Amino acid sequence: MSAPTAPTEGRAPDAPPQGTKKSRPTRLPKTPLSAIQRRRSLTGWAFIVPAAFIIVLVNFWPMFEALLLSFQTGRGTQLSWADPLLLNYQRLFQDETFRLTLATTFIYLIIQVPIMLVLAMVLANLLNAPWLKYKGFWRTAIFLPCAVGLVSYSLVFRQMFATDGLANDLLINFGILDDPVNWLGQTGTARMVIILGLLWRWTGYNMIFFLAALQNIDRSTLEAARVDGANGFKTFWYVTMPQLKPIILLCAILSTNGTLQMFDESYNLTNGGPGNTTMTVSHYLYNVSFRNSPNFGYAAAISYAILIIVAVLAAIQMKVGDKRD
Amino acid sequence: MKKTRTLGALGAVLSLSLALAACSGGDDDAASGDGASGSGEGGDNTLTVWAWDPAFNIYALEEAEKVFQADNPDFKLEIVETPWDDVQTKLTTLAQSGETDQLPDIFLMQNNAFQKNVINYPDIFADFADSDVDFSEFPESVVAYSTYEDVNYGVPFDNGTAIGAYRTDILEQAGYTVDDFTDITWDEFLTIGKDVLAKTGKPMLTGQAGSADTIMMMLQSAGASLFDDEGKPTITDNEALLAAIDMYGQMVDAGIYVEVNSWDEYINTIVNSNTAAVVNGIWISGSIQSAPDQSGKWAVTNVPKLDGVDGATNYTANGGSSWAITPNGNEALASDFLNATFAGSTDFYDTILPKSGALANWLPAGESDVYNEPQEFYGGQAIYADVLKFAAEVPSNNTGAYYYEGRDAVSVAITNIMNGTDPAAALEEAQQTVEFAMG
Repeated sequence: MSAPTAPTEGRAPDAPPQGTKKSRPTRLPKTPLSAIQRRRSLTGWAFIVPAAFIIVLVNFWPMFEALLLSFQTGRGTQLSWADPLLLNYQRLFQDETFRLTLATTFIYLIIQVPIMLVLAMVLANLLNAPWLKYKGFWRTAIFLPCAVGLVSYSLVFRQMFATDGLANDLLINFGILDDPVNWLGQTGTARMVIILGLLWRWTGYNMIFFLAALQNIDRSTLEAARVDGANGFKTFWYVTMPQLKPIILLCAILSTNGTLQMFDESYNLTNGGPGNTTMTVSHYLYNVSFRNSPNFGYAAAISYAILIIVAVLAAIQMKVGDKRD
Repeated sequence: MKKTRTLGALGAVLSLSLALAACSGGDDDAASGDGASGSGEGGDNTLTVWAWDPAFNIYALEEAEKVFQADNPDFKLEIVETPWDDVQTKLTTLAQSGETDQLPDIFLMQNNAFQKNVINYPDIFADFADSDVDFSEFPESVVAYSTYEDVNYGVPFDNGTAIGAYRTDILEQAGYTVDDFTDITWDEFLTIGKDVLAKTGKPMLTGQAGSADTIMMMLQSAGASLFDDEGKPTITDNEALLAAIDMYGQMVDAGIYVEVNSWDEYINTIVNSNTAAVVNGIWISGSIQSAPDQSGKWAVTNVPKLDGVDGATNYTANGGSSWAITPNGNEALASDFLNATFAGSTDFYDTILPKSGALANWLPAGESDVYNEPQEFYGGQAIYADVLKFAAEVPSNNTGAYYYEGRDAVSVAITNIMNGTDPAAALEEAQQTVEFAMG
């Protein structure tokens, strides 16, 4: 328990200087920057401005346009301001398909992200174990799925879980099943296949983050715990885990974000079926824009709904992550 | 001061040039990807076309180019292979952003999507009012797809006329011939189908679960659709739709219609002899013929019709596509080209039919000898001449701007009905979904 308290103690003396830093702006006009300081600051700006300009141009400006679009309604290019202005957002609450896709997306999120992060953590710790041989091979093997295109792996999974596919053949040959299961034809199993696919594709990706963080942990803290008589699990839980917290938080936010915006698996693996029950919100958004008679105002409102949900979840996660710290 | 200004200027110029580089990069990509420059820079005798299948519609374009070059030696086509989904995405994006000069001169469009695009994006279509294309030489039901408010926006290309293709060897084992399936009703089909299943263990039909293909074909065979003339959804209280769904359910329950999950699995059931028949657009012939060992074992006839539904016929269609032209300044040349080839050359259709199976919608082509040649694969039957006769009988149906919404909602309803939901309730929900999308 000594380890987690040490950093907070270490941080406490920092607090006063932070306070003085904060008061610096009020002092600024009194002591103008020296020529060197000003030049440095401008050099900094000169480096930042191009990138910032491009980010604003290709990222924030379209986002702003999309916000304006979400207040408009109409056919094709003949758009006009919605009346009332929030019409598209009100539609969201009446839209059964949106509700269904949102629920499905949350099912993926709630089941898949925790399993994936735990698995990634276990794998990262195994790969970090000093006794493991051929580390490079294992690491590559587990990370490799991330190098596979989303569409290609979705198609392979679709083949594997076809009624006459590999999964059924194997399970029947091993005597686990008597009759082939129609994996993609039933809501429950179809969602499970998507979750399996996500786990296969993304676990290695998160594992690499954890592995990098594990290798940054000061060995002396682990040794100190061992000297104090902590067993392997206790060392992991009370010494390693707290030091991994920032990276776990990062992975959780990235995964949440990624899952909420998931499109490829829904589109290619199940095509939303059976009966739209495996469709994600992003897939629905695509259908509203390009498959159906285009309704870009409403599609923009859906994308803002996703944005708001992602932002709220990220805020909650950061809050929870902070408390533990 | 001077230095700060230089730095500031440097920053601004740098960012601007980078941004411009990014923009022009995008333009380059678009130009090379779309070949869209054809209309502006490619000279007066070059047309840019988007189409998606090298073995089928692109092949047809290449042959059409040769036919047209006979009289116009300078003429050139720039064909850009673009999958249908991409064509739709690009058209939507270009129309939405107003960048219509990036459009090709001609593009191919799925018949089912035609109304939707004409209604939403009239700016990307040029009409055929000034052209010499004689639309009376095409089946009325096919021209209807690309006609909006009595204006023609498309020259029909491939034929989606539905066929009933039967495995004569499997029927023989059960004591039937293809004549027993000609001009029959779906009820009769069900009765014979159960017998065939009992005697041979093979189902009569297969199809993708949750796909509305079969239902939509049944609907159109009775001239019915999911929308009325004013474009309002008519999913509830739709006699033909209820009859079609009821029949579909009976066939699935009886085991004579086997549902599979994907298109590949569907094709596999045909190729692996796991079905005694196929009911689909004539274009399915390409997939049927991909199993050479089944040569001589197939025969083609019309499709069963719905019982007790007004206007029911033995003829329907599924899919098909039409050529559209864009208002980019080359409309005259584009419509001349289409008129001289797809709407006016028997030689052209004689060339493309044997090689690609691209069956004409242009009725005069059917008089040609090539169409009357017996097809070895179909036991010596001249199926193309037969199908052209079917084509003229297909009732037209109203697709409207919300065809995909309607179709998808019905697909969901079918899935729910197969899982035990009451049909009326499921269709009511589908109706609401479509009304919501239109609202």
